[in-house]
Amino acid sequence: MTHSEKTIANDEALISLLRDYPVEEPGADFYDKALARAARASARRQRTRWLLTGFGGAVAAGIVAWMIGGAMLFSPTPVAPEMPGVTIALEAPREVSFVFASAQPLDNATLTIELPDGVELAGFPGKRAISWETSLDAGKNHLPLTLIATRATDGIVVARLEHDTRSKTFRLRVTTKQPDQWNGTPQGA
Amino acid sequence: MTDRNDQLAFERLLRPHFDRLYRLAYRLCGNRPDAEDLFQEVLIKAFDRTDTLASLDDPGTWLGRVMYNRFVDTTRKRARRRLTTVEEGELAGGGLADLGGNPSAETDAARLESLRTLDLALAKLSEEHRVVVLLHDSEGYKIQEIESLTGIKAGTVKSRLHRARARLKEILTLDGTENGS
Repeated sequence: MTHSEKTIANDEALISLLRDYPVEEPGADFYDKALARAARASARRQRTRWLLTGFGGAVAAGIVAWMIGGAMLFSPTPVAPEMPGVTIALEAPREVSFVFASAQPLDNATLTIELPDGVELAGFPGKRAISWETSLDAGKNHLPLTLIATRATDGIVVARLEHDTRSKTFRLRVTTKQPDQWNGTPQGA
Repeated sequence: MTDRNDQLAFERLLRPHFDRLYRLAYRLCGNRPDAEDLFQEVLIKAFDRTDTLASLDDPGTWLGRVMYNRFVDTTRKRARRRLTTVEEGELAGGGLADLGGNPSAETDAARLESLRTLDLALAKLSEEHRVVVLLHDSEGYKIQEIESLTGIKAGTVKSRLHRARARLKEILTLDGTENGS
């Protein structure tokens, strides 16, 4: 009899095991950071409500083509070319279009967007990583992303496309101006 | 900008509930990044309700309910949009390696093995069964608390708990036999 079989021979043993089932602790200072983010989000909602109501449509910015499929996914990472970048205004939604060009249709690909601190994706407040399961058509596939800088930052948005065992990572530098007024020291930090 | 006093009042009111709330998020989501995101979303939603929260006898229950509803909404949205999280698919028990407390390394290793097997078994449960069994048996929520949190009737919670345990035992036994571990 295996250890597992012995362990779950009755409800008590199962419950004992479930009681020990661990919870991974949150990251360091997570609570303090979460509090600060909640306060900033509240302040931002108040400040930018007018802006959002008058916002008729974001302007497409950095259009970036990304070849995927076939040899490129397998080829070693080339010496990093100059990283494309956009400068965005604080609190002003800005649409950035990624264009993924695929040599062939790809099903069940996973596209992951990782955001630097201080940059959010519209509709996903507080999220730092968002991932889709998606399919790519052969040819160009457009992905518009609306970015919002919640505070002055100079960070990198990472877009990673994975399919089977292959993956390709793309980076976009996002820069904002230093705000004139900001005193966002996290409380209790 | 939000008044700093608002933030202080909010923190004073909410911080005592943080650990329990985070654990609830982790049990619902099964991994740390999603749990942190869910916790964050609830905190953002709660921030503008500080006055409401302050008037409640038990803000923890309100927060838990908001969290559960948010989780359900997000899950539905994900199903519709095929949106998944980065770590989805990884084992839920990210802290398994930190298991401690047993004096014997051999016992420790065996327990760890059992927990890993449990991790896999839990992943095979339906979400409604997984959530109920984890809240009740891992977190110690009472049936009535789960009813209050989820809005699912106590009888249904009991039934799901019973079925979840039975299914877990079945999966664990099968896996143990198949894996020969």
